[in-house]
Amino acid sequence: MPASRLMPVSRPMPVFCGIVPPHLLDRLARAGDPAVAAAARRTLVADAAHRTGRRLTTVTGAPPPAQEVVPGPQRTLYDAGNRTVLPGTRVRSEGDGPVRDATVNRAYAGLGATFELLLTAYGHDSIDGAGLPLDATVHYGEDYGNAFWNGEQMVFGDGDGEIFLDFTGPVDVIAHELAHGFTQHSANLAYFGQPGALNESVSDVFGSLVKQYTLGQTADRADWLIGAGLLAPGVGGVALRSMKAPGTAYDDDVLGKDPQPATMADYVRTGRDNGGVHINSGIPNHAFHLLAVQLGGKAWERAGRIWYDTMTSGGLRADASFTDFAGETVAAATARYGRGEEREAVVKAWSQVGVRAE
Amino acid sequence: MRIQVRRTGGFAGIERVRAMDTSGRPDAQEWHALAEQAMRDGRDSPPAGVPDGFRYQLTVDGRTVYCADPRLSEAQRKLITRLLKEGA
Repeated sequence: MPASRLMPVSRPMPVFCGIVPPHLLDRLARAGDPAVAAAARRTLVADAAHRTGRRLTTVTGAPPPAQEVVPGPQRTLYDAGNRTVLPGTRVRSEGDGPVRDATVNRAYAGLGATFELLLTAYGHDSIDGAGLPLDATVHYGEDYGNAFWNGEQMVFGDGDGEIFLDFTGPVDVIAHELAHGFTQHSANLAYFGQPGALNESVSDVFGSLVKQYTLGQTADRADWLIGAGLLAPGVGGVALRSMKAPGTAYDDDVLGKDPQPATMADYVRTGRDNGGVHINSGIPNHAFHLLAVQLGGKAWERAGRIWYDTMTSGGLRADASFTDFAGETVAAATARYGRGEEREAVVKAWSQVGVRAE
Repeated sequence: MRIQVRRTGGFAGIERVRAMDTSGRPDAQEWHALAEQAMRDGRDSPPAGVPDGFRYQLTVDGRTVYCADPRLSEAQRKLITRLLKEGA
């Protein structure tokens, strides 16, 4: 672990002091995207608290010797220059100030927000739990209407401007891609059929959780949309997926209608899209939404914790079916919270989408 | 020559199919050369691909091969890009 990643601070509040210059955070805090702005404001508050702590330390003497080291992100942003060679030209590294390109700065902030949720909510250091550097390439391809995880890094296209806008726009899209890295380094769910739909769903779950975390929202106030702000003006839709109401995110002449089922009764059998990984993910997505709303409060706390535990416990097989996954979430809820309301809510949520979880 | 591309997957999971018949086109020879090279670079079964990456099926005169982002040959990328723009 490079020394630059190590910042001695006192628990319990991890802060990423010195990584993001306050002037950038000030600007981000006034940014158009409320999620990015909120994340920046939170960090500013945390930084201010930390600086106060340092001043107090100066006045009151040396800190106690047993300091804990809190990790920070190691982000590197690359620009593909509308070509398809990865990773492209390095344009911003960890600790660098903002650049002129807003796309680069959005991706940088989105990676930071995802890192922060994983660390503060679950004590997970980066996506592999061991401080993996976070690399991302923007401006991939020409009018490229997609974003993907290539096994090592995130890749974002600019969109064609007619259907899709810049894929670094919504923070949940950035977090979704990064969560594919988290899944690869934890349960490593196969990217086909039901395990593939679970892989997709876990990315949507943590994508939405990062958005809710940056906005400081409770489960009942969140929009539970994936890709809100990604569709160009004129396209008939609010987002690409809805965890609250799968199948209702868009209905458009060019795009067609959102094909996601909310329950097993409407499960789609198809060979396309790796066996419908982006279609049937609506079912576990909806189960998570139901659980989070049932438990109330901040979704990343108990509901997110149960999903996180499920992915990292070692009990989930790479070829897990929906039923297998549901069973593991019940086991995770029981292990962490006992046989109380959390376990009951997990069983009920799965039952509501037609998956038996015992 | 009838050339078709079917793109599936991607973050949105939205399918797109475009095709064209090159007969009578002034640039038919160019399309033929591009399509033949793209087919030679293709695989008989779908490659694993990457999470959220686009998957492609290229079909030329009834024969189909597969490829996936980001590992496309230059001919495949060029053919797919042009066909998705210009095909019907």
